[in-house]
Amino acid sequence: MRIEEMNREPEMLYAGHNACPGCGAALAVRYLTKALGANLALVLTASCWSIITGMPPLTALKCPILHCPFPSAGSVGSGVRRGLNVKGMHDTTVVVLAGDGGTFDIGLQALSGAAQRNEDYIFVCYDNEAYMNTGMQTSSATPFGARTNTAPYPLFKEGQKKDIMRIMAAHSVPYAATATVAFPEDLENKLKKAQEIRGFRFIHILSPCPPGWGTESSDTIHLSRLAVSTGFFPLYEIINGVSWKMTCQPEGKRTPLKDYLSSQRRFKQMEDIRVDALQEEVDHDWEMLMERIAASKGCE
Amino acid sequence: MLPEVIKEEVCYACGTEPSMVNKTGEWRFLTPERADRLSPCRQGCLLDGEIPAWMEAVKQEKWEEAWQIMSQYNPFPALTGYVCFHPCTEDCNRGQLDQEIDIPSVERAVGQWRLDNYRPAAVKPQSVKGSVAIVGSGPAGMSCAYYLNKGGYKVTVFEREKVVGGMFALGIPEYRLPRKVLQKELALLEDEGIRFITGCNIGTDIPLTELYADFDEVFLAPGAWKPRISGIKGEDSRGVWNALDFLKRLNSGEDTAIADPVVVIGGGNAAVDSARSALRLSGVNHVSLIYRRSRAEMPAGQVEVEAAEHEGVELICNALPREIAAEGQAVNSIIFDHCKTNLEGLVIDQSRSFRKFCGTVIMALGQERDYSLFGFLDNPAAFFAGGDLVSGPATVPEAISAGRIAALAIKARIEGLPDPELLKAEQSPVKFEELNLEAKGNLQLQDKQAVPFAEASRCLGCGTCNSCGICYLFCPDMAVDFVDGRYELNMDYCKGCGICFRECPSRALVMEGGK
Repeated sequence: MRIEEMNREPEMLYAGHNACPGCGAALAVRYLTKALGANLALVLTASCWSIITGMPPLTALKCPILHCPFPSAGSVGSGVRRGLNVKGMHDTTVVVLAGDGGTFDIGLQALSGAAQRNEDYIFVCYDNEAYMNTGMQTSSATPFGARTNTAPYPLFKEGQKKDIMRIMAAHSVPYAATATVAFPEDLENKLKKAQEIRGFRFIHILSPCPPGWGTESSDTIHLSRLAVSTGFFPLYEIINGVSWKMTCQPEGKRTPLKDYLSSQRRFKQMEDIRVDALQEEVDHDWEMLMERIAASKGCE
Repeated sequence: MLPEVIKEEVCYACGTEPSMVNKTGEWRFLTPERADRLSPCRQGCLLDGEIPAWMEAVKQEKWEEAWQIMSQYNPFPALTGYVCFHPCTEDCNRGQLDQEIDIPSVERAVGQWRLDNYRPAAVKPQSVKGSVAIVGSGPAGMSCAYYLNKGGYKVTVFEREKVVGGMFALGIPEYRLPRKVLQKELALLEDEGIRFITGCNIGTDIPLTELYADFDEVFLAPGAWKPRISGIKGEDSRGVWNALDFLKRLNSGEDTAIADPVVVIGGGNAAVDSARSALRLSGVNHVSLIYRRSRAEMPAGQVEVEAAEHEGVELICNALPREIAAEGQAVNSIIFDHCKTNLEGLVIDQSRSFRKFCGTVIMALGQERDYSLFGFLDNPAAFFAGGDLVSGPATVPEAISAGRIAALAIKARIEGLPDPELLKAEQSPVKFEELNLEAKGNLQLQDKQAVPFAEASRCLGCGTCNSCGICYLFCPDMAVDFVDGRYELNMDYCKGCGICFRECPSRALVMEGGK
């Protein structure tokens, strides 16, 4: 799709929303709503987006929004879907929008239940790698070595980031994919593809967060792009939990992870030994991903 | 009260209204602004044309707008598209990525659009601001006439030859500039009310003082047509031509039967034009172009030299003619000495001389300015002149530029305004390294295109917004509007995050402190 065509698609997001300058999450939802069109019902769990959309009577989105408690995103989505089905509104797309906390930690059991029941909606996790809305507390999506307000200097996040995509693959959902804001075409294609599929669909969007990550607000797209080119956040999709496929592979060799870490204050004063450890982790995950992709060739 | 646009979108059921009432622009402490920096093509352009700006208009197929932008500096894109050597393409940043933009083809396309879509102005200006006489109808005269006529002046152009166009018509060979294009361009000028008087030699037919008496101002642009004489022995033999005479006769369709083989002496554009033209004549099988310095020092356009060689012109460098030998009255051969340049000038080595047999010699040793016109002036300090007469033999775009500047100055003089400011602030052009091609994947850069507007879409717009849409694509705050084919920043909602500035591939934005 040409950039002109993409820019001509109708916008579903209003100006004047409450996101911080340079917010990756606002951008992610802007692409998401553009891709899915106007016939959309959105379930929002507690997250940055409950703030971004604004307090009633203001709203930043042109579609109905249902706010729900933190752990219940997956269940409320199931309810909305079934309710709409009863009313005969089968063609309305239901999207559950949750942050990484509402997906990886607090919302995981409801998500797992809904995925296991193969509920017919799209679960979108915009991942800014900590509880940014409440003040940057560590979540299980925070990468190894990052500093947060619950792991201040000299502490750091220990243990690696939870691999939510493999959890979703283990549920054998019809469609799961990763996306990020620097590649809006890839992001929109994945959502459009998901919209065509029935059953539980999961989209994991990496959304850089300037205040939380300690970056310049102008670097959002640059960092998102670096996350892909370093292999820290590869862009791929999983069909039926078995068929893994790369969608947007960077050209040539992967960039060293140091480039990605150095401009973020959350990784500042990270010792070389930990940088190397994180690099090894990324390399290992990359190889495992490549193996899975190679193994799933031919079983599409 | 809510603005109309918002009122329409308020939910009739629950009264929810769009967040647009929230003017997030108040949060901003850095503001993105358009920068409009100098592009390498504009720096190279002898006419100072805003190349990225009209490229952008062509890309959107807004031909009228492209013509409006282009004609501010170049009223004859159809002609310059053919004859200019386009130094603009030399430093094109796109060349470092894949291949330079084919600026000449897009320029010709705009010129052709103008020729095809020309309509005379429906309402001619009622009052004429003044009358101006122009001596010489070459590139400088035509350009000055165009701008003065457009500014509401009555313009009369005096031409000493039988045809209008000067160097365009008589100096440049047909294969470099199709005469149909020139005829059409001249017809447009006449249609717009410019009067051309041909066969009228100012100084002999009409005294210059009479022009000054009859017109408010006079612009002198007779060019530099006086051939430089080498003074070597045998230069007056039969079969020895002067390059401009040769081209002039050829271009006016007169008899130019010349004997084979042909030797052209010189390394400028007139020499290359003569050599290529001679090769096209029937009965000529062999043409040699002989220049005294090295090939790299040739003043002719490199493209032309390469084209000449490609066509079969034999190029000999570092050879200086010593003597033209004649058999009876007609030229028979030339003796050349080996010659090279060092810091002191030309070093001639007579021991390495050679003889070249030939039937025709075309001398293209350059032209000189003829100042005899000035002898008629009472006050030589107070006249307007331009083109080759002032600069010495130069290029067509330089002459067009001189004509434009003269028109500005003449207008200022007649209307009693201060002299126009022509010096611009020194700027360094946008370098390739400065461009941000990280978003290359989003832009989907294309390979070289044959269609002009597709070729124009390859332009990276160094330092100028080329409506690529990246700022709109990546703005999280919906603060970029798309109005009438262009992207505009909406300061009501811009939070000043700077993503547009950071991602702009053309570096057409700057961040300023404050709101």
